[in-house]
Amino acid sequence: MTGFARYVARRLALMLFVIWAILTIIFVLFKLLPGDPTAIFVDSNFSVEMIERQRALWGLDDPIPVQYARYLGNMALFDFGESFFQNQTVAAILFEKTRNTALMIVPALVISIVLGALIGAIAGWRRGSLMEKTTVVTALFLHSAPSFFVGILALMVFSYQLGWLPPGGMVSLGGPETLWGIVTSGDYWQHLALPCLVLVSREITGPILLLRGSMLEVKGSDFIDILRAKGLPERQIVTHAARNALLPLVTYIAVMTGLLFQGQVLLEIIFAWPGIGRELVVALNDLDYPVAQAALYVMALVTLALNFLADLVYGVIDPRVTYD
Amino acid sequence: MALLEIENLHVSYRTPHGEAVAVDGVSLALEEGDYLGLVGESGCGKSTIAKAILGILPQAARVAGSLRFAGRELIGLSVIELRRIRWRDIALIPQNAMNGFDPVYTIEKQLDEAIAAHADLPAGARRERIAALFAMVGLSPDRLKDYAHQFSGGMRQRAMIAMALALDPKLIVADEPTTGLDVIIQDQILERMAEIHATAGNAMLLITHDMAVVSENCDRIAVMYAGRIMEIGGTDVFLSPLHPYTMGLCNAFPDAARREGELISIPGTPPSLVDPPSGCRFHTRCPFATARCTDEVPPLIEISRGHFAACHHADRAPEFRDQARDPATWRTATP
Amino acid sequence: MTDTAVRIETSRPRFAKRRPGVVAMLVTALFIAMAAFAPFIAPYGPFDVAYDTDRAVVALSPPGWQNWFGTTNQGMDVFSQFVWGARVALIVGLISALGSVLLGTFVGLVSGYFGGWIDEALMRATDIAFGMPFLPFAMVIISIAEPSLALVILLVIFFLWRTPARVIRAQVLSLKARPFVWAARAAGASDARIIIREILPNVLPLSFLYMAIGVQTGVMLEAALSFLGFGDPNVQSWGIMLNAAFRAGAMRTAWWWVLPPGLALSIFVIAVFMITRAFEDRLNPQLRAI
Repeated sequence: MTGFARYVARRLALMLFVIWAILTIIFVLFKLLPGDPTAIFVDSNFSVEMIERQRALWGLDDPIPVQYARYLGNMALFDFGESFFQNQTVAAILFEKTRNTALMIVPALVISIVLGALIGAIAGWRRGSLMEKTTVVTALFLHSAPSFFVGILALMVFSYQLGWLPPGGMVSLGGPETLWGIVTSGDYWQHLALPCLVLVSREITGPILLLRGSMLEVKGSDFIDILRAKGLPERQIVTHAARNALLPLVTYIAVMTGLLFQGQVLLEIIFAWPGIGRELVVALNDLDYPVAQAALYVMALVTLALNFLADLVYGVIDPRVTYD
Repeated sequence: MALLEIENLHVSYRTPHGEAVAVDGVSLALEEGDYLGLVGESGCGKSTIAKAILGILPQAARVAGSLRFAGRELIGLSVIELRRIRWRDIALIPQNAMNGFDPVYTIEKQLDEAIAAHADLPAGARRERIAALFAMVGLSPDRLKDYAHQFSGGMRQRAMIAMALALDPKLIVADEPTTGLDVIIQDQILERMAEIHATAGNAMLLITHDMAVVSENCDRIAVMYAGRIMEIGGTDVFLSPLHPYTMGLCNAFPDAARREGELISIPGTPPSLVDPPSGCRFHTRCPFATARCTDEVPPLIEISRGHFAACHHADRAPEFRDQARDPATWRTATP
Repeated sequence: MTDTAVRIETSRPRFAKRRPGVVAMLVTALFIAMAAFAPFIAPYGPFDVAYDTDRAVVALSPPGWQNWFGTTNQGMDVFSQFVWGARVALIVGLISALGSVLLGTFVGLVSGYFGGWIDEALMRATDIAFGMPFLPFAMVIISIAEPSLALVILLVIFFLWRTPARVIRAQVLSLKARPFVWAARAAGASDARIIIREILPNVLPLSFLYMAIGVQTGVMLEAALSFLGFGDPNVQSWGIMLNAAFRAGAMRTAWWWVLPPGLALSIFVIAVFMITRAFEDRLNPQLRAI
């Protein structure tokens, strides 16, 4: 096996181990949650036998180890069972919610990364200039400002006071439902504007500061002096510098995406965006455990998978990384 | 008209502690095909001269004086004109070649880049030239597609030399090209450079702190201390030094033939460039210093044919040379 | 520029660099004062309901002489809540920062110094911790137990320790290889002695850095949890205030209720962040150019 293949195998094994550990933790947590799932039937006219049958159906009476084994199997296959409340399989619900979260995050990510990297690289190259100083100060300020308050402010100003943009949700009621339909509707973009703005204002700071720092480091490298000594035009030198400065961004992107994915609970609540974060909050409030459990799992899984991907991609693009 | 004429060059930097003068009125000349060695301790301003010649000093540097290449004044020259001269006429072999290459581009790409920037050769011709360059420095052409980190230190340095030779420049400035390499590799590199000098005839400016290296390879030697030239001449700079500092430097390098006798080093440390000593910069560490040395700056004057020294007491050099060989002399010097 | 013995820097007067740090420290001091003297500053208790002359609840009234920041929908004085909220923020911030740094430093030290299976086990634990997104897990855990400030603090500690642990471990690893550690060992010092006398002092600056970061993050996380409705209902933290405002639909009109806690959070967090930045170049041994 080549060094790289071995490295991949090792990271994969580690990731699987962590997933298993987290799944176990989730299992334990949910077993500890108060509330008898069959309690929702208290109002209805279910007889005791029917309740018993329901429990058997849900496997709630089997010994814990059996439940655990079955649970692991299901989770691995993404078989999350049915929601206690909604008339759908949990998998179907989460798939849609995950898609919705992506619909909010992806545009913001793209803008933040592309724009942020560009601004950061320029700021780093032009160290000491006014542009660089203002960029850094603004970035630091935005970086530390709590985004959910910015979200609330944005809502208050742009939606409630000025009425320019809708106050929440992803699409208006009765709007398109398919991915393609949503993405091509102006309605979605209108709803996206505010949350995206808030997200970008926070997330863009990462690439800006990262690229600036990275570019500063690269700029001070000896090989840049040699490039100048070689009489190369400025544009070529900047390209050299940028190629080097971009390397840390790759890892950052994956980590960033992972963080975003599970951290958007706040913005999803503020903007009533039907994403996976909001779904978790709602499910916990409703005691809809299958959904909550699966949502938690999905969020952890996505984070881990993205980190793993980051490691891999970085290894591919930086020729200096060796695997031993 | 000499190939390279440096006249009264001043380079200083603004620092939080004041103005640091790295090069203080240095004058040098290099003819075509010369092999000049510039020696001095770390921090004396040698690398600054190298960068000044290539015009790649940091922005914080202030330059004054004259630096003429083939009669053309380089200081104040527009960037566009400078770029034309760079690498094609003057090339640099930097200190620490490890960092001289861009880590994410292949070596071949970087050599190619150098050629393409100045010569109008088609890709095929460039490839041939690159292969030839590698052969010249003794590197195998199948390593061309590798990255810098895959080369050993010595190989990297040779690749750097190959790159410097790419356009057959009239002048090659080698800034401490062997620092950090082990002695055997050092030897190989220097031999290679001597070969190239002999066959291709480029003028070379070898900058180093190692007197032994310079004495073995260079036709002419210049000794620098605290931003100033102390002595300059042919090989008799080493054989019969006129300046006490040079004598100290010669002592610092062990002679395998003289196995008895302790290693003599110059006491004290190099002076601050922000607040240098008055008069002769070396007087604080010189065992032969007199009051005059503290007050008056000694000018660089021709003592014997082609051999210049900046010392008030150069006439007593033979006497000093004897004393310099005795370790006791250096112990009494009050730094 | 390895040739010259002097460091070349772009000329920037030192005072200008210190100023944001000084401002930040003043602001933080203000918050601390507010928290400490809350009983003297706040005209009312955090849950006191204001009644007007007609004995009716003064609900949702804009800022005025009686209530400087107006009242909530239940007639509580926003200004008082704002002041009392500072206490909660500071308590949460300090305790969670301290706890997480202590835990993180301990793990980092032990893991880095002893290596071997201890290191493996602890690093796996941190890997797992890194894989658990904070808000989702915290929400679930709070749903199991009763929402309380103590629980929130505990949760924050358990999610914050992982970063200092990793970083400090890396630092310890590099310190372990340094000569002064060999020297101590050669002189026969015990492990504990080496850790405490030689390594810990070099790691402390990093720990302080993470303390500051911890205060910032702790306050933010508590606010986030409270805002989502998982906070301790018996306290009036800034997050709880925002949650109450949000639930009451007061965002549309009662700006006086929303702005104070929100701004307080923002300013406090930014101030602490600025302090971190001001000292980071001294505390962080890696001296990144940011």
